[in-house]
Amino acid sequence: MKRFLLLSLALVPFLAACSAGATAAPSAPPAPSATSSTPPTKLTVGLGYIPSVQFAPFYLAQQAGYYAAAGLDVTFENKIDPDLITLVGQGSVDIGIADGTSVIPAVSQGIPVRYVATIYAKFPNIVFTKASSGIHSAADLRGKKIGTPGKYGSSWIMLQALLGSAGLTTSDVNVQLYPDYGQAAALAQGAIDAATGFVNNEPVQLGLAGVSTTVLTVDNVVPLPGNGLIAGVATIAAKHDALARFIAATLRAMTEITADPQRGLAASAAIVPDLGKDPTTQLAILTATIGTWSDAYTAAHGLGAIDPTAWQKTVAFMASMAGSPISGPAPAVSQLVDASLLAP
Amino acid sequence: MDATATIDTADRSGHRAGPAIPPAALQAIDVSFSYPPSDGRTTNPPVLEQLSLTVRPGEFVALVGANGSGKSTLLRLLAGLLPPTAGRIEVGGERLTAPDRRIGLVFQEPRLLPWRSVIDNVAFPLELAGWPIAGRRARAREMLDLVGLEGVDDERPHRLSGGMRQRAAIARALALEPGILLLDEPFSALDALTRERFNVALQEIWRQTGTSVVLVTHSIAEAIFLADQVLVLARAAAGIVGRIEIPFARPRLLGELDAADVSGLAATVRELLEIDDGGAR
Amino acid sequence: MSVDRSAIGGPAARRSGRGAVLAVVAGAALLVGWKLLTVIGGYPPFVLPPPELVAARFVGAWADGTMLPHTVTTLEEVLLGFTVGASAALVVGYALARSTLIEEAFSPYLVAAQATPILALAPLIALWFGSGILSKVVICSLIVFFPVAISTMVGVRSVDGQLLELCRALRASRRQILIRVEVPGALPSIFGGLRVGVTLAVVGAIIGEWAGGDTGLGVLINLARGSLFDTPLLFATLATIAIVGVSLYVLVVVIEGRLVGDRD
Repeated sequence: MKRFLLLSLALVPFLAACSAGATAAPSAPPAPSATSSTPPTKLTVGLGYIPSVQFAPFYLAQQAGYYAAAGLDVTFENKIDPDLITLVGQGSVDIGIADGTSVIPAVSQGIPVRYVATIYAKFPNIVFTKASSGIHSAADLRGKKIGTPGKYGSSWIMLQALLGSAGLTTSDVNVQLYPDYGQAAALAQGAIDAATGFVNNEPVQLGLAGVSTTVLTVDNVVPLPGNGLIAGVATIAAKHDALARFIAATLRAMTEITADPQRGLAASAAIVPDLGKDPTTQLAILTATIGTWSDAYTAAHGLGAIDPTAWQKTVAFMASMAGSPISGPAPAVSQLVDASLLAP
Repeated sequence: MDATATIDTADRSGHRAGPAIPPAALQAIDVSFSYPPSDGRTTNPPVLEQLSLTVRPGEFVALVGANGSGKSTLLRLLAGLLPPTAGRIEVGGERLTAPDRRIGLVFQEPRLLPWRSVIDNVAFPLELAGWPIAGRRARAREMLDLVGLEGVDDERPHRLSGGMRQRAAIARALALEPGILLLDEPFSALDALTRERFNVALQEIWRQTGTSVVLVTHSIAEAIFLADQVLVLARAAAGIVGRIEIPFARPRLLGELDAADVSGLAATVRELLEIDDGGAR
Repeated sequence: MSVDRSAIGGPAARRSGRGAVLAVVAGAALLVGWKLLTVIGGYPPFVLPPPELVAARFVGAWADGTMLPHTVTTLEEVLLGFTVGASAALVVGYALARSTLIEEAFSPYLVAAQATPILALAPLIALWFGSGILSKVVICSLIVFFPVAISTMVGVRSVDGQLLELCRALRASRRQILIRVEVPGALPSIFGGLRVGVTLAVVGAIIGEWAGGDTGLGVLINLARGSLFDTPLLFATLATIAIVGVSLYVLVVVIEGRLVGDRD
């Protein structure tokens, strides 16, 4: 059976290519209810490497029984991004949360995944500096020392996009590597002028420590897609309705947490006890996270909506980058995104 | 018998060994020895007690004794490798306190350095003594000629038979032209036929170099064939129980020794050895 | 008088090339097995690429200049780290061999350091020494040190005591004994440690790069895996690493042949 599944998986890219161009009409989503005669559908859900309060929607939906009510038996797994995308592509993990910019090179390498729902409508990777540094825009970064974990990944793409908006490249700045993710500490000590990070992490931590920061975002420069839910093409076909109900339950939890963040905190602490230990910090992180869940597009089209124009612009940008991670011809948006699991 | 023949030391290297044969070559005077105690024991029993012997210049002396009689220990004392617990060793009238260049030593095993060629092994003492390369190869070649090793200069020792390796070891011991050559059961690892040939070869080498020789052996026949004087050691600490002069003329040939004389001497030696055996017969 | 050549073939057998033929056959069998696995298992290329795809990517990565700068960086780290680590180990190994006191005093710490996984220490070392070449050299040196030190210690101790007595009888100085007998005598064992050390040095360089680096084959693995999602490139990089390791090992063996030579 596994052999058949793997073989069919190998065939899927061919089938997908054949049907490229034909946009699938989104089917009417089933109501989130379970019939008592059928057993719940098992779903393996991949979350980020370290359990974090930013996954509060998932924890709340699990703990409040939204997944169960939707006829789903959800198990969480913690995986790092590269592994997660491969596992989702293989079908070993049904659905997971991954960075949007990683999907593009993955699909260009033939990994059959689709971005099915937006979680972070605003791109979470940012450049942050001390408020006192005098750096207020991308142009002010010229010649400055900028700390980053490495010259790859979503932070690197974001940095190039940001610098590009001021006509700069990475050779116009002094990049310092912090593979141990110590760039925030280095900034606090004045060893560097600016650093890359996540909008709901380093600036929040520094703020709690009394260091106010300026944050430069890339959303108005290149609309890079932030973290969202991805699923394998075969899984979408096989478990379409279950996945749609999963997404609906998760979005419902997001709405409720936006109105009442404490519910998110309580649910996170219930599922991952360590997250209950420092409520002040965790609340600050969660608040910053909530701030990324919506933007103008989701306000108009609903939470979780995917903006195809943003994806188009992003593909064009990444294809134009020096050392572009896209292999071969740039993928079409229909190869990257599948909105059929969202409510219309 | 002519025991004072020397080899021509006309020298091609610029080094001339001094008069290689000191007067009154080698003496042990009232020598006692016990091994130093390892932890926990206060003393070890003596291996040798108040033993004296004299080797005259150019003389060939054989030390015969069973295992455990202390003959190898005595040889090491004579070589300066062990310090006497009491008494002293003298070379040419001077007290010996450490290994000396006037003494060449041949062990029971060839002890050649396996990573060096035969000729580099024979040249090893010369190298340690600071001889220049050309000189030491020439001298080593001479010594290999002397012991009858042809055509194996650049071979590694493991390619040689046991007998050839022992010849090389003898050549090495003679490289610095010592006045005294000490051999510790050098042929005991060889088969009986090879051993006889080596006995003849050793006699020839001795005649050509004129060194004083002390040969430790457990073979009575070998001792009688080679030596001017046979010293018999009994069990440890019992000392030298007999000194037998071997009167046969030189050069001695294997087949020519009078059988009756030889067996008579051999019987005497055996008697001396068995005296300390508890007399069981 | 003839030399005893009745001993078995020795170098002649080693040079017969039969071993090389077997190696090629084994390699071919491995490739065939790999291909069969991808076909029968039906694995997609982003999970297990077939050998011909990896080969094509390997050639491509060298041709377009991707592989070379990373390989040069890793090679620099390996050679420097191996030299530093092995040199220190030779000295320490000799000291351990000559003095039981030193051995008893220091071995517990040496063994404890060896037992601590380098993978755990590497990030700390990158923190202290920066993400430049220095931290990679430190990590490589550490990983090379123990096998070479121990093999040196064992080798020096294994020098035949009878040869050392010979040296005493020939009035050799301490220095002469060291240079002319102990070192040559210990060389076979030392080279055993060097063979192990040089392959470990490659592992060390990769681990060092994972703890932080700009270029290097370890960095390329991370890029291929996490940034480019290019599994054939990942395999091609692994192949390059293997080739680097094998080449260095062969180099050590060749040098060993010259220095150790024909002994038994």
